[in-house]
Amino acid sequence: MSLLRKYAHIFAVGLQGALVYRWNFFIRGAFSLVHLCLIFILWGAAYSGVDRMGGFDVRQTLTYFIVVLALQFIVGAFNEDFQIGEEIRNGLINQFLLKPVNYFGYRLSLFASARLVSGLLVFVPLLLAAPWFADQLTFPDDPWRWRIPVGIVAMILSAALQFTIAFCFGLLAFWFLEIQGFVILSYAIETCLGGSIFPLDLLPRGVFAVAQYLPFPYQMYFPAAILTGRIPSLEVALRGLAIQALWVVAAMVFAHLLWARGLRKHTAVGG
Amino acid sequence: MTNYLRLWLASLRYSMVRTMMFRFDFLLWTLVEIAWISVNLLLIQVIYSYTDSIAGWNKYEMLLLVGTSMLLQRLLMGFFWTNLFEIGRNVRSGQFDFYLTQPGQPLFMVSTRKLDPDGLANAIVAAGVVCYAAHKLGIVPTFGGIALYIALIAVGLVVHYSLLLLLASLTFWIVKTEGIEGSYFSVAESSRLPRSAFKSLATNVVFVYALPAVVVSNVPADALLGRLSWPHIAWMAGLALGWFALAAAVFHRGIRRYTSASS
Repeated sequence: MSLLRKYAHIFAVGLQGALVYRWNFFIRGAFSLVHLCLIFILWGAAYSGVDRMGGFDVRQTLTYFIVVLALQFIVGAFNEDFQIGEEIRNGLINQFLLKPVNYFGYRLSLFASARLVSGLLVFVPLLLAAPWFADQLTFPDDPWRWRIPVGIVAMILSAALQFTIAFCFGLLAFWFLEIQGFVILSYAIETCLGGSIFPLDLLPRGVFAVAQYLPFPYQMYFPAAILTGRIPSLEVALRGLAIQALWVVAAMVFAHLLWARGLRKHTAVGG
Repeated sequence: MTNYLRLWLASLRYSMVRTMMFRFDFLLWTLVEIAWISVNLLLIQVIYSYTDSIAGWNKYEMLLLVGTSMLLQRLLMGFFWTNLFEIGRNVRSGQFDFYLTQPGQPLFMVSTRKLDPDGLANAIVAAGVVCYAAHKLGIVPTFGGIALYIALIAVGLVVHYSLLLLLASLTFWIVKTEGIEGSYFSVAESSRLPRSAFKSLATNVVFVYALPAVVVSNVPADALLGRLSWPHIAWMAGLALGWFALAAAVFHRGIRRYTSASS
């Protein structure tokens, strides 16, 4: 009980922290809308000569990108990797080595509160821009039968995977002075193979089949594809959920190993 | 003039020495940019596996446009990015004093202190993409054609530089300018699209007429594709003059506001 209360308290502190940076949030939201606008122009032009790509029409594809944008704010890790790297470099983690607080749990609680805030706030710019894209929105029929419940589970697992991968990249600060290069490199791979650049099902069939065994599609594409009908059936979704859960566990085990090894290298300096 | 050239060559030498010291960094950042170039190429590959044309541009024409857009961005990264980006940090910390006391135009001193060889290495990769696309399109450019393309790229670089300088100069008024990177990339992202893709009046006004990035990548690409007209060149030149004048004016007004920091 007291364990739960401890992390609930961190969560509450995190909520306050996340609300302080409203201005940054709205700047990021505005850029995301510009990005969405350019996506609409590109894909609108690409679809002008064809009715369907990979079985999906232009509205389905644009809806996919809107959902991806929302998910970036609801489940996406944003600058957690940099923050964690920074805390390792300037010695802030030393206090966690002395206190009965698990650093992973601490950061996860902060991540959860930050996503709750940005996940709710993102609906402000989206609703403001809604009149302009509302006629493009199209969702599969009967979403409550399985798409929304399974989609929510997939979103929670996506968030866990996003966070754990970001945590691992942050831990690289034990070994390297600058982690920015690694983070931006992985960001290129994650956005592309995560399905933020194009829906992954548009890849050649063989490549797509292989990609499904990688962790990246489960960071973003998978929940978005469930919610927008790009995953055809419940069976396919459940199979994906199993692979996703495996990747979450694998990432957490890996994070634990990195943390244990990193601490051996870590030297706490100063007071 | 020769004095400035000597200063610039000294910066170049210093940057090369620095890169040799941090070889791993150079390799990593080269890899980072190659990854981003690949992401862009993959997007084109995927879209064109379903259609033959985006707003009237075929696959290799589009590749040529994206290559041109990347070339401009890598050149900006290689020559100016770090320098302009550091203005904000230096103004906040008061280190900016250092540039004002140097014997030279502050704008020149601020803009040319460091070069990023990884950006320049990737400019070569981007130029390779342009050459490959031109080859696939069967374009055999004349010497004059190549010279014109290079000149237009240089003019485009002036526009991108001015845009970034303008954003970076805001730091004299707003101390915390975290959105700079984001706003530049938002504008630069539009440069990968053909001008003909902007159909509605609103998007035309914003991305084609108000912001310069679309024109600046489209005109050099058009030049290689043999669709250039003199009004386009005049438009490019006008953009470069206008944006540079604006950015330089804002920068110099900013310096007047600068009051150093601490002691």
